[in-house]
Amino acid sequence: MADEGKKSSYWIVWVAMVVIGFGTFIYLAASGRPDQAWKAYLINFLIWSAIAQGGMLFSTLMHTVKAKWSGSLSGLSEAFTGFFPVSLILFLFLFLGGAHVFPWSHGHDLHGKEVWLNIPFLFTRDLIALFILYGLGFGYLYYSLQLKKVDTTNGKGIIRTLFRILQGGRQLEPEVIRKRMDLLAILYMLAFALVLSLIGYDLVMALDPHWISTLFGAYTFVKAIYVGLGGLIIFAAVMHLNPKNDFTLPSSQFHDIGKLFFAFCLVWADFFYVQLVVIWYGNIPEETAYVIERVMMVPWKYLAWFVFAVSFVIPFFILLNKKVKTMPAFMMVLAACMIAGIWLEHLLLVGPSLSHSVHTLPLGINDILISLGFLGLMLLALNSFLRQFPELARTEKREVS
Amino acid sequence: MAIDKYIMGLFKSEDQAVAAVHGLKESKWTLHRIHSPIPSHKLSEALKLKTSKVGWFTLCGGIFGFFAGFALAILTAERWDLIVSGKPVRALVPFVIVGFEFTVLFAILGNLVGFLTQTRLPRMQNLEHYDERCSGEHFGVLASCQEDQQEGLHSLFVENGGIVRVFD
Repeated sequence: MADEGKKSSYWIVWVAMVVIGFGTFIYLAASGRPDQAWKAYLINFLIWSAIAQGGMLFSTLMHTVKAKWSGSLSGLSEAFTGFFPVSLILFLFLFLGGAHVFPWSHGHDLHGKEVWLNIPFLFTRDLIALFILYGLGFGYLYYSLQLKKVDTTNGKGIIRTLFRILQGGRQLEPEVIRKRMDLLAILYMLAFALVLSLIGYDLVMALDPHWISTLFGAYTFVKAIYVGLGGLIIFAAVMHLNPKNDFTLPSSQFHDIGKLFFAFCLVWADFFYVQLVVIWYGNIPEETAYVIERVMMVPWKYLAWFVFAVSFVIPFFILLNKKVKTMPAFMMVLAACMIAGIWLEHLLLVGPSLSHSVHTLPLGINDILISLGFLGLMLLALNSFLRQFPELARTEKREVS
Repeated sequence: MAIDKYIMGLFKSEDQAVAAVHGLKESKWTLHRIHSPIPSHKLSEALKLKTSKVGWFTLCGGIFGFFAGFALAILTAERWDLIVSGKPVRALVPFVIVGFEFTVLFAILGNLVGFLTQTRLPRMQNLEHYDERCSGEHFGVLASCQEDQQEGLHSLFVENGGIVRVFD
């Protein structure tokens, strides 16, 4: 993927994926099915942004706790910042589909929630929030690259050039860099929790404006860590398995990140359950209606069980085993299945609010093609980033000894 | 027939102890015991130890605890017809909490039983051929040889950087 600044031979395929995705979106929007197009867009925006945000979180987390094992994985984790500008632009485009993705924006009595739930305010606050989160991510990356002694005085690329201008030939002491990284890493993690909570409330929970779950924000950012780790495992496995890359990881590192992935599989299920049990006991109609529609009504109830199995039950039992965690190819497939499960979980959360009175699942080939387009965007972003900073995709020597 | 002599090599570094173990494995002398001040993966690999069975005890404990937790909650609720918040007596959703807590509890107890049985604890007698420095910072490698070969074993430990103690 990162062939020392050369374009990968796969980039045409990735561009084709983006064109197919974009074409499908335009086709749906133009053929009288804009709701379907914007629903797929919203789900994909949420999940791919969460993968990038959660993927980057790994490096800040490892830095803060002074972990020694993560090494090269942190470099790969930082490559997810390449998707941040894409995510920001995708969010701006979401504004165009506001009427389709926010059913409360027309014909709903919001009972005083209009102050919070109005499109201009929603977009302004979410845009500022994402801007802060991504700014902190790039700030951390800026110092992390300096600590890794990445020479930005030459080489091409927007981010590399920007960092070169910012650095202006100055060399900071490693101790100063570390202190600034400490601060930025903690701020990124704090912003991650707050911004992801806000995104969860605004772009997912508020689609049904009368439903409230106070824990939904925490559930959203825990889910983002889970998919972020899944994305990082896939990325590391692809880099490791491709002999053209100067990147290999010992099986102990795959084992360690596998354990972290396993832990967040449990945390995600826990956050899902603690919301359910409170709503179940409380038995308040305006809370239970949301859950009943999704877990007891056709067609959503089958999807709910499927999501639970793919995103929790199956990974849980498989990840109990130590050996599978050290097998990159297997972990890649497992993480991909989990991310697909979380994609469907997003459909379960937003689907009933956007597609009323359906008897079959509103899921088809068009959703897959649009998702393919977003996958293409992610691959292009990662590739473009690693072309600018090939140093991040190299194994640290002490790790392979 | 020559009498067996027990000789212990005491090493300050893990790598020296590992080298001594490799040397012993290639020799005709018998390796009896290793003392390590830290859990050492390198020594485990050098000794080619079998995978520990403690994990199976933990797993069995956890599975037992999961069902025991549900059983306790269901039987108690049915025995006293406990109706909470107008919900069914046998309410599986909240019983997950009891099931989960019991899973953790019995997994830990299973782990403890596994640990005690697999390490054959408690040991009521003191170890034979033991040097107190093994309770400090030294790695201890205990081996035996026939009396007329003790010089060879002695020099193997010394060559690998160890201090040697010969037991009577």
